[in-house]
Amino acid sequence: MERLDSRVRFIWFFRAAVGSVFAGGLGGVAAAFVDRIPVSPFVAGGLVFAVVLALSAVHVVLRYRAWRFEVREDTLYIERGVLVNVRTVVPYVRVQHVDARRGPIERALGLSSVVVYTAGSRGADVSIPGLVAGRADDVQETLRRLAIESEPETGDAGDAV
Amino acid sequence: MKLHPLSIPVRVVSRAVGVAWAFIFAGFAFAGGDPVLLSGVVVLVVLALAVLGGYEVAYHRRFEYELTEDSLDISSGVFSRREREIPLRRVQNVDVTRSFVARLLGLAEVDVETAGGGGTEANLRFVGGEEADRLQEVIREKRAALQREDSGAAETDADAETEAPAVEGETLFELSDRDLLLYGALSFDPRLASGVVALATFLAPTFGDRISLSGLGVAAVVGLAVVAALGLWAASAVARIVQFYGFRLRRVGDDLRYERGLLSRRDGTIPLSKLQTVAVEENLLMRRWGFASLAVETAGYAPGSQPSGGSEAAIPIAPREDVLSLARTLEPFHNFEVERPPERARKRYVRRYLLAGVAVVAGGFLVDQFLTSVPWYAAAVLLLLAWPAARLSYRHRGYDLGPDHVVTRAGFWNRSTRVVPYRRVQTVIRRQTVFQKRWRLATVVFDTAGSRSISAGDAAALDRDAEEADSLAAEVRDRVLAAVYDRGDERRTD
Repeated sequence: MERLDSRVRFIWFFRAAVGSVFAGGLGGVAAAFVDRIPVSPFVAGGLVFAVVLALSAVHVVLRYRAWRFEVREDTLYIERGVLVNVRTVVPYVRVQHVDARRGPIERALGLSSVVVYTAGSRGADVSIPGLVAGRADDVQETLRRLAIESEPETGDAGDAV
Repeated sequence: MKLHPLSIPVRVVSRAVGVAWAFIFAGFAFAGGDPVLLSGVVVLVVLALAVLGGYEVAYHRRFEYELTEDSLDISSGVFSRREREIPLRRVQNVDVTRSFVARLLGLAEVDVETAGGGGTEANLRFVGGEEADRLQEVIREKRAALQREDSGAAETDADAETEAPAVEGETLFELSDRDLLLYGALSFDPRLASGVVALATFLAPTFGDRISLSGLGVAAVVGLAVVAALGLWAASAVARIVQFYGFRLRRVGDDLRYERGLLSRRDGTIPLSKLQTVAVEENLLMRRWGFASLAVETAGYAPGSQPSGGSEAAIPIAPREDVLSLARTLEPFHNFEVERPPERARKRYVRRYLLAGVAVVAGGFLVDQFLTSVPWYAAAVLLLLAWPAARLSYRHRGYDLGPDHVVTRAGFWNRSTRVVPYRRVQTVIRRQTVFQKRWRLATVVFDTAGSRSISAGDAAALDRDAEEADSLAAEVRDRVLAAVYDRGDERRTD
């Protein structure tokens, strides 16, 4: 099974760092306004920031290890999640369209994400982040081709809705 | 075609009523009795009404719809124009709503839903009553014709079908007045009552200590609580009765058509060819007396997710057997016997509810420490409920794999048994939380295009043995592929 590019960890870590700054700020404000917490706001905020950052760093590493996907014959298989392990099977015949997305950090690192849409209630639930740009185009192209090829020739059973 | 001319005053009034309150309150507060300011406010209100009226006249003049051979074209918009073309073969539901005022004036509102996008695709407010019926009927006929063309069905069949369905169709179900009352009475959500009980365990000792009540006083409080509970129940019953008055379900060609409502009449179509899932729902009271309700789901909208509120059931209430047999005529599923999760799942639920109970006690303790003194230890009584609660959850969960459908069941207060045809499954998702992992359990979710899953939860086989979940996911995947390609079992892939 295929793994993500290891640089995706930087992207996740960057997001976690932004989140930690927010959490630290909130911690600091809380310490400043609640009298019962007898520490300076800066110490409290810094502490919260450090703890959240450390935890999310661990999470990022585990998340990377848990992520894998496979382009199979009839289905796309994705396995991910640290606290909640999720394994999704998407038959190609259910794919409505496929997007390739590149955010600013992803572009800087030469990465790209592929998002697969189905008609299901979890529309864009299937996305593969952190692929090397070439590979992402490749995956998108393959999925697109498979989605078209997989359309059954007779009946309207393949019509998603 | 244009909207009905009477739609202008109705739209103006219905909009003005919304704004009027704000104006009146803000205006009087601002003027504060000063006659000059007050007259200024009055002038403003008149101006606003004039602008509103002008806008609605322009809206009416700039709104145009047309039903062509294979699409419904709408061009609308006063300032920014929008040209919209809705292919009839993609139409999911056509709903006609006649609110009380609209009925007096002979008007109706038409909503056309498709699977795409968020909201309603076409909203015609208002057209004449007959025009609404015509639209509904013509859209149905044209869509059916287009679909026959698509699937290339045998011509003889098609001919036979076009002859058969009269506009009236075949009545599948009619809600008698007795059943309507019953529905009102039984549709009460018992969770409300249980919430009151949970709250009472907190409140009773708190107030018991502080206010010394005489025997008469206690009786009065208890009486008051009973009256409040009855009032809540009666109000929900009346709301349901008004909503479902005169409910009738018919089958017209390949569509289901329902109508209901006392004040505001609602008349909707549910195309059977677009049916995603069928759900049999029974709340605690209904189960006790052997009744059930049936909900069907298309990708257009979820029954129940409509602004009308309330559950848009295909059958609001009927004896369980009748509901099942009618459900089978809509979607011929097998005789299912759901299999419960493994025994250790029950133990897991006990732990889970115990943890929830401990959390409540801890919350009470924190409130007691930091805010105001409450007898937080009283909530410990709730902990004892973990065992029966776990047992009940456990007993009402399960799934069954049939030849063409997967059946899932969950819920104690409101038990929902959902029948999902394999050919409608979009993705198969196996989920395992860290807590489930400890017990070697996993959940398998069958996602469909029905929009209901968001509100009512997914069709899922909850807490199965981890290996069983793996094979279940693989099995359903194979059957989905088999159903789509209509190829039987000969080409399995792994």
